[in-house]
Amino acid sequence: MYFSQSRFIFIHLSLFRFCHSLEHGFPHQPSALGYSPSLQLLAIGTRSGAIKLYGAPGVEFMGLHDENAVVTRVHFLPFQLELVTLLDDNSLHMWTLRAHKGVSELLEIGRFTLTGPPGAPPSVTRVTSVLAHSSGELLLLGTEGGHVFVVEVPGFRELEERNISLDQVANSVPEDYIGRRNLEHVETLQENPVDPNQVVIGYGRGLMVVWDLEKHQAVQHIPATQQLESTWWTEDGGHILSSHSDGSYCRWTVGGQSSKDEEEKSDIPYGHFPCKAISKIVQLPTEEGPPFLLFSGGMPRASYGDRHCISVIHGKTHVALDFTSRIIDYFVIRDGDPGALVVLVEEELVVIDLQTEGWPVIQTPYLVPLHSSAITCSHHVSAIPLKLWERLLAAGQLQITHYSPKPWPITGGQNLGQDPPQRDLLLTGHEDGTVRFWDASGVCLYPMYKLSTAGVFHTDADPNDNMNQCSEGEWPPFRKVGCFDPYSDDPRLGVQKIHLCKYSGYLTVAGTAGQILVLELNDEAAEQTVEAKIVDLLQGQEGFRWKGHTRLDVREEPVLFPPGFQPFALVQCQPPAVVTALTLHSEWKMVAFGTSHGFGLYDYQQKNSVLVKCTLNPSDQLAMEGPLSRVKSIKKSLRQSFRRIRRSRVSLRKHHVTNALQEANARLEAELAEMELAPVQRKIEARSSEDSFTGLVRTLYFADTFLSDSSHNSASLWAGTNGGSVFAYMIRMPSVEHRADEPITAHPAKEIQLMHRAPVVAIVVLDGHGSPLPEPLEVAHDLARSPDMQASHQLLVVSEEQFKIFTLPKVSAKMKLKLTALDGSRVRRVGVAWFGSSRTADAGESGLVVLTNQGDLNVVSLPSVKMQVQHPCIRREDVSGIASCVFTKHGQGFYLISPSEFERFSLSARNVVEPRSLVEVPANATAASKRRAAPDGASADNGYTLRLRQTDRQTDGHTHSITNVLDDVDEPPHSVMSCPHPAAVCDTTALSYAPIFMCS
Amino acid sequence: PACIENKSLSYGAEFRRFSVDRVKPGKFEEFSRLIMHIHRIANMELMIGYADVHGDLLPINNDDNFCKAVSMAHPLLRIFIQRQEEVDYTSFGTNTLTRRKKAVVTMRNDVNRKRPHIRIGMPQDFRPVSSIIDVDILPESHRRVRLYRHGSDKPLGFYIRDGTSVRVTPHGLEKVPGIFISRMVPGGLAEGTGLLAVNDEVLEVNGIEVSGKSLDQVTDMMIANSHNLIVTVKPVNQRNNVVRSSRISGSSGQSSDSGGSTGYPSLSVGGGGGALSAGAGGVALESDEEADIVIESSVKRPSRRSNASVASAASTASPAPPSPPSRPPSVVSTASFHSQLSLNGSTNHQHHHHHLSYQLHRDLNLQNGPQTSNPALRHSNGSLHKILSSLRTDPRHSLALPRGGVEEDGTVITL
Repeated sequence: MYFSQSRFIFIHLSLFRFCHSLEHGFPHQPSALGYSPSLQLLAIGTRSGAIKLYGAPGVEFMGLHDENAVVTRVHFLPFQLELVTLLDDNSLHMWTLRAHKGVSELLEIGRFTLTGPPGAPPSVTRVTSVLAHSSGELLLLGTEGGHVFVVEVPGFRELEERNISLDQVANSVPEDYIGRRNLEHVETLQENPVDPNQVVIGYGRGLMVVWDLEKHQAVQHIPATQQLESTWWTEDGGHILSSHSDGSYCRWTVGGQSSKDEEEKSDIPYGHFPCKAISKIVQLPTEEGPPFLLFSGGMPRASYGDRHCISVIHGKTHVALDFTSRIIDYFVIRDGDPGALVVLVEEELVVIDLQTEGWPVIQTPYLVPLHSSAITCSHHVSAIPLKLWERLLAAGQLQITHYSPKPWPITGGQNLGQDPPQRDLLLTGHEDGTVRFWDASGVCLYPMYKLSTAGVFHTDADPNDNMNQCSEGEWPPFRKVGCFDPYSDDPRLGVQKIHLCKYSGYLTVAGTAGQILVLELNDEAAEQTVEAKIVDLLQGQEGFRWKGHTRLDVREEPVLFPPGFQPFALVQCQPPAVVTALTLHSEWKMVAFGTSHGFGLYDYQQKNSVLVKCTLNPSDQLAMEGPLSRVKSIKKSLRQSFRRIRRSRVSLRKHHVTNALQEANARLEAELAEMELAPVQRKIEARSSEDSFTGLVRTLYFADTFLSDSSHNSASLWAGTNGGSVFAYMIRMPSVEHRADEPITAHPAKEIQLMHRAPVVAIVVLDGHGSPLPEPLEVAHDLARSPDMQASHQLLVVSEEQFKIFTLPKVSAKMKLKLTALDGSRVRRVGVAWFGSSRTADAGESGLVVLTNQGDLNVVSLPSVKMQVQHPCIRREDVSGIASCVFTKHGQGFYLISPSEFERFSLSARNVVEPRSLVEVPANATAASKRRAAPDGASADNGYTLRLRQTDRQTDGHTHSITNVLDDVDEPPHSVMSCPHPAAVCDTTALSYAPIFMCS
Repeated sequence: PACIENKSLSYGAEFRRFSVDRVKPGKFEEFSRLIMHIHRIANMELMIGYADVHGDLLPINNDDNFCKAVSMAHPLLRIFIQRQEEVDYTSFGTNTLTRRKKAVVTMRNDVNRKRPHIRIGMPQDFRPVSSIIDVDILPESHRRVRLYRHGSDKPLGFYIRDGTSVRVTPHGLEKVPGIFISRMVPGGLAEGTGLLAVNDEVLEVNGIEVSGKSLDQVTDMMIANSHNLIVTVKPVNQRNNVVRSSRISGSSGQSSDSGGSTGYPSLSVGGGGGALSAGAGGVALESDEEADIVIESSVKRPSRRSNASVASAASTASPAPPSPPSRPPSVVSTASFHSQLSLNGSTNHQHHHHHLSYQLHRDLNLQNGPQTSNPALRHSNGSLHKILSSLRTDPRHSLALPRGGVEEDGTVITL
């Protein structure tokens, strides 16, 4: 439902249609994991109440609980399309994958909360464990009060007579069981794999009771005395494994000649010293050879209590897989023998191939942790030429040699989506100096290639600080797995701006310490020295004190670069402030860059600086002193604290860890308390030239246009600053044959000071037709019409407050569109996009896509600067989401909804990427479950309410539902009238879909 | 040091440059005599005015404002001399030299213009800082205040905060979130007007309701409109409201004058409402606001520059009937040349390294021809405006100008 119901908001000449289409990346704060072996679908619940299903690449579903509560459990009903979720508000929810027009949708079809006897304390019905019985008809719910409630599904009908009360169990507990103390809550419920009538009920106190559901009596008591953590019934039904809070596990023999409850084997695998609990234990047989034993936790408390480990023991092989973050849950996929271990940890999903020697990791096609190092910027390039695509793929293939050759083991559902119409790249810059290239063409954001810029520099990184080293004979036998590593060794490496020319394969990457690298795609490894050109942006400006970080130290010896993008030129700004604007012109072979102090133009063919302009206002004290703002210093000190913690982990000094943590916490608290004291009021003052950071360069733009007179066009560079200034330089290029030796010169041509002094965020030159000038080399590759150089050009200056069109070559204002003065919103992100008509193949127009600080998306027409459409997209409080937004050239966009997830949206009527997939009940499902899969009227009468997913976190349902009905031509609203169940239409969102549900 | 002045005689656009001691400018009487001497004028009632840093034409008629005028020179001061009987006092004051009205002049402005002047005395060095407008269309409990910001010398000077206000709704009284003035900056414009006070509720900014908008949005709206900020408030003190009487209810102009702006015609653009609704359309360029500064440097074709200059100066010369015989016909190019000198010359002791010459022009009057836009302006004033606006400097803007050398030629007389 979430995906296939696009929200049709506004149709304008069939060019614009807004929808959130899907989410890429790893769910933020996952809290529960489920798997259906029959459907081969994986389900993840999150702390924010989202439920996400994944199958074969491209098969994705998402749902959101109305309650903003943590999903604590996810259980598929065996052999069915339903799944049950438990939230921490103690409510149970039934979801189903319903086929609609050949495409499956995830729908919530019921909800339920246990009701205890009147007057009972809430603990009686507080659910602590869930068992979806293999019959597919029963749900067993163990509670904090020690009772087990039996509920019929999918209708959630309580079967009171089948409930297993604590009293019934306690009465039969053997006398000698430690004074018959309180059994505590139901910790585990497990079904006998060979006898569905038997379940084992594990109580927190340690006692396990094998219960016969048919006879309604206890069959066997297992008197474990340690606090129980988990149970596992072996596949032959002959043994139960229990794991305990002291880091031990026990094997018990069950069945056959009753009450032979001897403890067969007990072990504390990492024993001697006190150990942490084993939270989950699994044992799986192999067809020949010893079984696999897997358990999580159990580490020696003092020395490795902070590790997140799953131990895998198979014969003589014993490995403690050491994960990067807390383990949420894990399961094993079997094809006879155990095939793959799937582990959900807090920050990533790791799949380990258990059938290949060395148990390598299988690369995930989705759920990739985008944030393995924090994302610092992103850049999107549409319609990549095939040649570049293949070279990138080839370079990327060489980087993933350590992955398992096995295919992705989760293959449920059919991906019905069409092949993407074009190849799109999303580039993300990271705090550790890497740039990751993602295939963003389709539903899966697939990693293609990773570029690291750190090799060019000497960094702070301590070469001995390598967590991966694993000395021989170490106990426990750790092996580090996973790629999440948020600790950047040197924050100066952070990537701030990226610009890729898809035609020439030139890439420029700029970073936190004023470094600008120019890179070229090379299919061979190469050893080369990268020479740095230092550019002084201050230009003799006096009275400057740079208090920020130092410049990065460049390696002077040749460095071996692997195939892929290899740096060949480096500019380092002085002072080494963060690069705030960057652009590349591959045809002219020039790069322009800007910081808070000025901007420069660099000729990367001659490796020569062409122009340096200082934009610093000498009275601007803040800009004069460097980047040490308050917020950043907190961040920095926190980072340092974490690094100390991390080092100390290695050096096993645990008390030190706590101290550092407390220190960091105390400091943070103090800072926060200080911030809260400031009253919430805002100063009303016009901007002046004395404002801070007016010289910060916000945008740079190359254009071949008319700068001096209307008959001679020339190359030009445009720069816009935070203080509302625009500088234009005319660039004199030597003729082609002298390009390599004659110097390029740049001359100041124009300077515009916007009187409203708002930051200039974009500059675009429009040709004689009013269309934006094409990208460099676009015309040469026959991919764009050549610009109209006959009629006069126009200059579009976008400030945070206004869109203003000026004439060229003589700059005078022609038209403008005010934004802030009228509604108080400000431009945050802006991009030029082509909107193709969904009706006519060739029709379409260019427009400006704008995201405001209120989170609204606007399309502004060109060249008339008129507001075309407006739609709320991101919550205005979500500052980082708004700041992270990047637009494609075809009216789509991405923004971060969490540190690890991109939300994808589309404003274009023609270009929408959304998952279309079908999941069907497996052929081997029982007839009974098939019958139940079809909804019948009776279930609706039984008090379960049809509810369709509120598909969006931001949109108010109002606009959405109304326009939905108006625009969804396939399902005329009058069909609602034929709906036999008016109760089902309570939610207006459901209007057009309700009849479908009833008829299916 | 010497202070160079530049002066024009409006019946004939004649220019002189001379210097006056900045520290001891002397008396107005002496100055007046000096001017009459330089221009060889005798026995004529003159009106002397000067252009202040904001491009406003202000009069010089006593020792005090003469001193003030000289102190404003940096280092050039532009003096304008007109025959007393030609003076239109409406041309003094805020934005008088920069403001161009669009062809659409609202009714209200016409009313203002025709209204007979009440002589309260010559406007001295006053400038309106605020006015109450639209008294006739607002509820008595509300007040619409317009703040005039002149350059950056005085801060607007107030803060706003979130708060709760009580509204009368069909369902009875209801508490709704509102925006309130939280603080006044001592010495700021807002405090100086006396029209705004702490805890006044802000209802509208330039005609747009603030209800439903966040504090940050309202802040941004106010700042974006700071060049011409019109705030509608519900004053916390309801005792000083303007009481509408039948006598003045018809004319917002009068009532606004009673609000404290002494005798200045309201140059408001339809007092808010009308102009704002036009603004909502978005695209039309409003000429009432400060325009952007564009500096174009002619990199290679210097001939273009003089063409442009002549064009801008042509209207200056056209209404000059009795040209004194001693003046050469080159007066036009002289004028335009002066305009460049005055811009570049401010800091001639700096580097001389640029051979570029810069021309400053303001992107005003885009659709309209130079003069046709406002037939109501008299020719003499029109030309005056023209000259001054082209000469206009602003300390902020001149900072942005690359420093070029000043060359003096024969047409400049240095005393």
